Amino acid sequence: MNITFPHLGNTYIAAKVLFDALDVEYTIPPISTKKTLEIGCLHSPDDICLPFKIMIGNYIESIEKGADTVLITGSCGPCRFGEYCELQKKVLMSLGRQINFIVIDEPSKIGIKEFLNRLSSVAKDSRLSIYKKIKALNMALKAINLIDEIEKECRFFAGYEKNKGEFSKLLKDVKREAIESKGAEGTLKVLENYKDKVDRIEIDNFKTPIKIGIIGEIYTIIDSLSNLYIEDILMNLGVSTKRTLYPSWWVKNTALSALKINRSPIYKEAKHYLGMCIGGHAQECVGEAMLNYKMRFDGLIQIFPVGCMPEIVSKAILPDIEKRYNIPILSLVVDEMTGEAGYYTRIEAFLDLIEGRKRMCI
Amino acid sequence: MIIGIPNGLLNIKYRDAIQEFLNTIGFTTVVSPKTNKEILDLGVLNCVDEACLPVKIFHGHVEYLRDRCDIVLVPRIMKLNKNEFICPKFCGLPEMVKYSLDIKNIICPTITAYNEKTLRNSLYNFSKTFRVDKEKFKRAYKGFKSNIYKYNKTSISNPNLRVLLLGHPYLIYDDFINMNLAKKLHQNGVEVFTEDNIEPYDYTYRLIKKPFWTFLRSTYNCAISLVETGKIDGIIYISSFGCGIDSFSIDLIKKDIGSFPYLVLKIDEHTGEAGIDTRIEAFIDLLKRRSKNEYNISSLG
Repeated sequence: MNITFPHLGNTYIAAKVLFDALDVEYTIPPISTKKTLEIGCLHSPDDICLPFKIMIGNYIESIEKGADTVLITGSCGPCRFGEYCELQKKVLMSLGRQINFIVIDEPSKIGIKEFLNRLSSVAKDSRLSIYKKIKALNMALKAINLIDEIEKECRFFAGYEKNKGEFSKLLKDVKREAIESKGAEGTLKVLENYKDKVDRIEIDNFKTPIKIGIIGEIYTIIDSLSNLYIEDILMNLGVSTKRTLYPSWWVKNTALSALKINRSPIYKEAKHYLGMCIGGHAQECVGEAMLNYKMRFDGLIQIFPVGCMPEIVSKAILPDIEKRYNIPILSLVVDEMTGEAGYYTRIEAFLDLIEGRKRMCI
Repeated sequence: MIIGIPNGLLNIKYRDAIQEFLNTIGFTTVVSPKTNKEILDLGVLNCVDEACLPVKIFHGHVEYLRDRCDIVLVPRIMKLNKNEFICPKFCGLPEMVKYSLDIKNIICPTITAYNEKTLRNSLYNFSKTFRVDKEKFKRAYKGFKSNIYKYNKTSISNPNLRVLLLGHPYLIYDDFINMNLAKKLHQNGVEVFTEDNIEPYDYTYRLIKKPFWTFLRSTYNCAISLVETGKIDGIIYISSFGCGIDSFSIDLIKKDIGSFPYLVLKIDEHTGEAGIDTRIEAFIDLLKRRSKNEYNISSLG
């Protein structure tokens, strides 16, 4: 059994730690590029949303490298993501690729026994004791928390750095070294090293950079191919960006929601506008917008793929927040045909607007 | 008080029942007219650009009713089957309408109706906002139940060609959106089946995961059970552009039925009628030729 998984931000580093520690064979799909997207678009239905297409590209590229089992999470909410495994398996089968799917669904929907069954089938080939397997899971959790923490700090303090480009260089280095290092412990050590390094980079506290919150659909704001590297561009322009929806946040949120002890302030803030979960991350998007406003951010950028059902609802709500609280919001809709030039022009124009507002002290 | 009922989305199916329910309670109701160009324009003007056509038209209906009644009824339909959803846009419809149209006078009861008890509860909670006593509610509920629209079975003298018309109810029964599709098919001597006049078997065991959308389950079951029993000659799937559920069901059906004749019509606010006509005529020609010629092999390879 050779396990693979679709890319989602930094999860590949956590997956490397997990499978190294479990001593299971695995394949990390090559970093998503334009070619991945092209392969995905070729084999996917037209109307499907962008994440589906990139995932198909990821699978096919890693099948070519020898993978035969796909591990993904599922959901039973009203969003399309829950049905992905169904159609993806059919697409891959019609291409003549025999592949197994391990779908980690919510335990409340499929039953706790089935859930544990599926979890244990991931580590079927591993000959370690159950104690060591749990330890491996713990290490993976630690890794995802560390790398997300590093990325979060780099993105936010990029506006305050004394020597331009230090944070962006550090972020590139940590990802490269983490994936090149040997073994699970090695990766964790690299991550811990870099965690210290981030704190030692000099920052200028008197700077007042533009601060932008990034909200929207979880996959498109995490996956840098689908949002055309928006965070890197903003980082290079000296803009501080912040987003809450990281893979580590998702893990924590899902676990807490399953136990019904989720007290995240996001839901409290969103309640006035959207009182219930309507699938996807529409509620989080609205809540985030409110939280970012309260933290005195200068502007918000919402990103979602074409036809994303929950985000269409939140897009209808955001103009009201914009008007009432006087905070500019830019909605960017991405798909495989998004042109770079038009996309960047809109972002630059948005930044100019915010700069103008700052100068006029609005 | 005058309550307005927009004539769009699932209200097309439950309009009469809702009207009877509210009338028995003691309100005057006003139903917006059948979809027309004016309503479409109002909807397209006010709605979020990315939304699908039926949702835009629903916005148009609400905007039309806005000044013609005291309060507009925008139901939030959550579930029609247990553990199944309709669509995220249906769950968030009141919010979309409220903030896109900037309208204050709407009432949005949450409807969960996967069995008798839940339906009764949701309607009771809805009527409680008007301080209706129990006796009156009982009568109104009876009226609601007896007025749920039953679609009459189609009977046509020339049943040579039989076609299954698939799609969401608000596309099939809105003659403005689908440009009189059913009528056009009848004129060409084709008998039309829809979801409402067949009783499908459950074929979802063929799928890896039990689908959690009511529409996906029903369309899939309809298509597969009619294809398996050989009752139809072709399938026409009418879908609105950007529909998330259809993007799955179209492909799930296509991958299961193989080379069975299958026409997908995508509809949005710019669709031209002539193009649709040509495609339907071509499809019917294809079906006729297939029934004459047993060797369905294309000469083009």
